[in-house]
Amino acid sequence: MKVIQVKCPHCNNPIKMKQKDLLFYCDSCKTIHVRDGGINVIDYEIGDFGRNAPQGDRIYVPFWRLYCSFTIKNMKVEGGGLFKLSNWVKGGAGTGGDIFIFVPASDFDPATFKRLAIMLTTLPPRYNSRTDFNNVPRLPTTMSREEAAQMAHFVVITMEAEKPGTLQDLDYTLNVNDARAVYLPFLTSPQGLVLGI
Amino acid sequence: MPDLSIGLNCPACGGAVSVQEGEGVLNCQYCDSTLFIEGDKGVQTIAFKMKVTKESAIAAAQGWWKKGFKARDLKRTGKIIEVYPIYIPFWSTTARVAGWVCGYEERRHSDSKGNTRVERIPKEVMVLSDYRYSEIACDPGDLGIRTLRNFSGERSFADFEMIPTFETTTSKDVAAKDARSKAEEWGREQANVPHVTFERLYVVPHNMSIIYYPIWVVRYSYRERMYMNTVDGVTGTVLSGRAPGDPLFQSLAITFGSAAGGIVSGAGLLLAAFSEADQNGAYFAVGGFVIGGLLLFGTYRFFRRGSEIVEGEFSDKEGSAKTGLGDIKQISQTLSQIGGRYP
Ligand SMILES: [Zn+2]
Ligand SMILES: [Zn+2]
Repeated sequence: MKVIQVKCPHCNNPIKMKQKDLLFYCDSCKTIHVRDGGINVIDYEIGDFGRNAPQGDRIYVPFWRLYCSFTIKNMKVEGGGLFKLSNWVKGGAGTGGDIFIFVPASDFDPATFKRLAIMLTTLPPRYNSRTDFNNVPRLPTTMSREEAAQMAHFVVITMEAEKPGTLQDLDYTLNVNDARAVYLPFLTSPQGLVLGI
Repeated sequence: MPDLSIGLNCPACGGAVSVQEGEGVLNCQYCDSTLFIEGDKGVQTIAFKMKVTKESAIAAAQGWWKKGFKARDLKRTGKIIEVYPIYIPFWSTTARVAGWVCGYEERRHSDSKGNTRVERIPKEVMVLSDYRYSEIACDPGDLGIRTLRNFSGERSFADFEMIPTFETTTSKDVAAKDARSKAEEWGREQANVPHVTFERLYVVPHNMSIIYYPIWVVRYSYRERMYMNTVDGVTGTVLSGRAPGDPLFQSLAITFGSAAGGIVSGAGLLLAAFSEADQNGAYFAVGGFVIGGLLLFGTYRFFRRGSEIVEGEFSDKEGSAKTGLGDIKQISQTLSQIGGRYP
């Protein structure tokens, strides 16, 4: 066992964070890297808050945004009719296409995890990007990219199953073309987290 | 005694930092540097403080003796032989199970004319919850304890000087694999779809840790035979135990069992004697004899094994049936199966 100081692989600046996080963010050159066997710099985006978002309630929530090719090869549904075919897949001719799947990457209870994943995957948010957190606190990332890729399957099956009718069989392929960390602006409210765009 | 925190120095400022086993990242309390642990991180180890006194453990065991079909004079006649505390290590983790199980359930409807119609009810069930895994990490002999029921308590290693501790003998990798498959199985059970046509379950496990759990072992005797109890050292409840069954209940069972066995096999033999020419009669006679013999065998088994009431996760029991009555049920099931063949 050996303790080492975490330094940015890009500019060698020592990382200083208050929280235990799988992602190391460099304040100096804005690089994010992970240490999962090797030292790997990863792509990320930080979404800007809307101008009217109240300052005090702001928080950044990390997601793994997986850009996936999703194709349904066969599907059997009892009741509910034909429109159960994936009409939400972008550019898809009914049976497949490319989608962004958002997997919450922090430690959420199951209900919040599902709500955020389905909400953002169904309607991907539009936001302006920025390269720093502007002193807004952020939730730590606890889920790895590989785990998120597994959860992406759960997200797509859930979206199919929750359409009308009762799902009986689903044969599909899901390929992850790109994965990046996306910090989305949220506001803490009595109803839970709400988007602050 | 396991060394919990390993004393090391911060490579940036030289300040003393203590690293908890199983930890991957920490922050130096002096210079705020983020520090990373390279190499084998070990496993996070937790010990719960013994909260239950020896007297309370004995009282809990004696309270347990009074319940169920245990010997009615156990409370008076049972003699405590020895009572001692031990620490048992358990592997412990939580895992999120997410997925869907789809399929159908069949329901049978009968109309007044006796026609049966099978209705197929399609089902789609989402599984999304956290599974708590624990499994004993050593072999302390058969104490009737395999998994943890309580996961909270005051954390302290102070009692390690006083209480004998079992070493961990199973590996983290084996436990992690076991946790994964148990979590999946659990998810499937939660979904409860009788006929599955589609199933996708994903398991995301958290870090594995070891919990040292304090337990009282109570050994006692009843009519020259040895029995035992284990008592949870944090909550004070009885975790497992073996006890003598009630003699009256037993002798009733033996009497009825033998009588029924004797009558049935006797009748079988009689029938065989009087119906040599009739082949069906002969079959019935043989059947009767077999059933009678089984009844006698069942009685014998009940006398031998059912005379003991067993509670807990013992290896000589299937699952964790709550009382020795499980044995009787098993015998009666065997009998009804055989009986079905010889109506
Ligand atoms: Zn940097
Ligand atoms: Zn330091």
